[in-house]
Amino acid sequence: MATVPGQLIWEIVKKNNSFLVKEFGNGTASVKFSKEPNNLYNIHSFKHSGLANKKTVTIQPGKDQTVVLATTKTKKQNKPSTLLNKSVMKKEFHRMAKAVSNQVCDNYYRPDLKKAALARLSVVHRSLKVAKSGSKKRNRQSS
Amino acid sequence: MSAAAARPLVTVQSLESDMATDANSVPLPDVMKAAIRPDIVTFVHGQISKNARQPYAVSKRAGHQTSAESWGTGRAVSRIPRVAGGGTHRAGQGAFGNMCRGGRMFAPTKIWRRWHRQVNVTQKRHAVVSAIAASAVPSLVLARGHKIEEVPELPLVVSDAAEAVEKTSAALKVLKQIGAHPDAEKAKDSQAIRAGKGKARNRRYVSRKGPLVVYGNEGAKLVKAFRNIPGVEIAHVSRLNLLKLAPGGHIGRFIIWTKSAFQQLDAIYGTFDKLSEKKNGYVLPRAKMVNADLARIINSDEVQSVVAPIKKEVKRAPLKKNPLKNLGVMLKLNPYAKAAKRMALLAEAQRVKAKQDKLDKKRKPITKEEASAINSASKSWYKTMISDSDYTEFENFTKWLGASQ
Repeated sequence: MATVPGQLIWEIVKKNNSFLVKEFGNGTASVKFSKEPNNLYNIHSFKHSGLANKKTVTIQPGKDQTVVLATTKTKKQNKPSTLLNKSVMKKEFHRMAKAVSNQVCDNYYRPDLKKAALARLSVVHRSLKVAKSGSKKRNRQSS
Repeated sequence: MSAAAARPLVTVQSLESDMATDANSVPLPDVMKAAIRPDIVTFVHGQISKNARQPYAVSKRAGHQTSAESWGTGRAVSRIPRVAGGGTHRAGQGAFGNMCRGGRMFAPTKIWRRWHRQVNVTQKRHAVVSAIAASAVPSLVLARGHKIEEVPELPLVVSDAAEAVEKTSAALKVLKQIGAHPDAEKAKDSQAIRAGKGKARNRRYVSRKGPLVVYGNEGAKLVKAFRNIPGVEIAHVSRLNLLKLAPGGHIGRFIIWTKSAFQQLDAIYGTFDKLSEKKNGYVLPRAKMVNADLARIINSDEVQSVVAPIKKEVKRAPLKKNPLKNLGVMLKLNPYAKAAKRMALLAEAQRVKAKQDKLDKKRKPITKEEASAINSASKSWYKTMISDSDYTEFENFTKWLGASQ
């Protein structure tokens, strides 16, 4: 597949796409969020974008207190069903954190996303603990 | 770009009814590698969508079907033309103006408004080509909002067995097999009553768009089978419509190609080297940058070997110090300043000392010897003054002077 490079895709996608959410702020100064599943900070920017990058990392809650860590395979960009290397994790937090940082930076996959990945992991993990009480927040990133 | 030899292959998805040997792969047509230009697509889409409009206008007689005349001044009413006659509410009411009740509107709409737009053929073709190319990029199709997570490959090519499908239920099964069902489902779930006045103007329902199925052989049964599935649209390869390829002006529609349709793309649009067969004298548009991967270019050997190293420490401007106040800085500018200053200081010290001595001397009480020395000196000076001067020659003054000479 002649890979349309990330920069090109970003130029096309950055102005408007179905995952873009503009909220808060005053008038034109709204914060831009992004709902794609492969976005770690949910921020609409080139670095975090799940659409414009060949290598992305995603951390989502799975069923029953598990966390799913997935990375995209660079060679299979045009085969959406087999794009992701998924791994379901149900370990204690420290082991999961080690696993995440191994996958993301220690193998030079996307070392610039290390902080984001770990931050997301702890938030997802915490959200799984509080499952019972309060209203269920819909996972808008559900992939 | 060694296009012909290195063209990537697209696997054809086989359906149940296929024989195992049929599943193979087709090379990617060059259309899918053409330049993606969302700006051209938006422009052309906007222009083209004006072409299906029907004119609307108000009646040209509306508001003028009265013989109203202004009453002029002097009757304590505004000068608007008023309806003549009597015996009815209408008599004496204002007429003709856009501000009057029952008058004609401002700038009544006319049917000869320019409803349709002309677009250059090459531009229209460029837009279609861009839209097709964009449909082959998963990110763009996702960004447009299609659910393609379960699709095995993009662009999605299905064997020709799909063209023979007759029943809608079979069509649905086909969609499920190739992973296109979530998209069609999304379209079905999204059916809702339109917000706004459109619902009362014969545009009651809205829904999302699902996949576009493109077939290659005329009269394929697939048309009737797929057309009733909500969200799914059908098109023949040689009649691809930009309004369907980029709905809303947004590129990246999810397209399902049949094998024969896919193979005809090369003939219809040509390749970068070959002219198109079906479109007279048409060649695929060239991109401004063939390799648009900036990161790769910047990090390539050719560029890095010529590039200057990164400046890690940022040189900032030093704070300017005033030489008149700061001796060190003054010395940098004028080394003689040190000697000059030293001389000045010494001279000053000397002056101070001299003055002090003088004062001290004056303030100190004079010793007896000094006092008498001064006294005798002044006396002798007085005498010499008298003797030196000619004053004593005058006889009248001898008494005054009291000097014996």
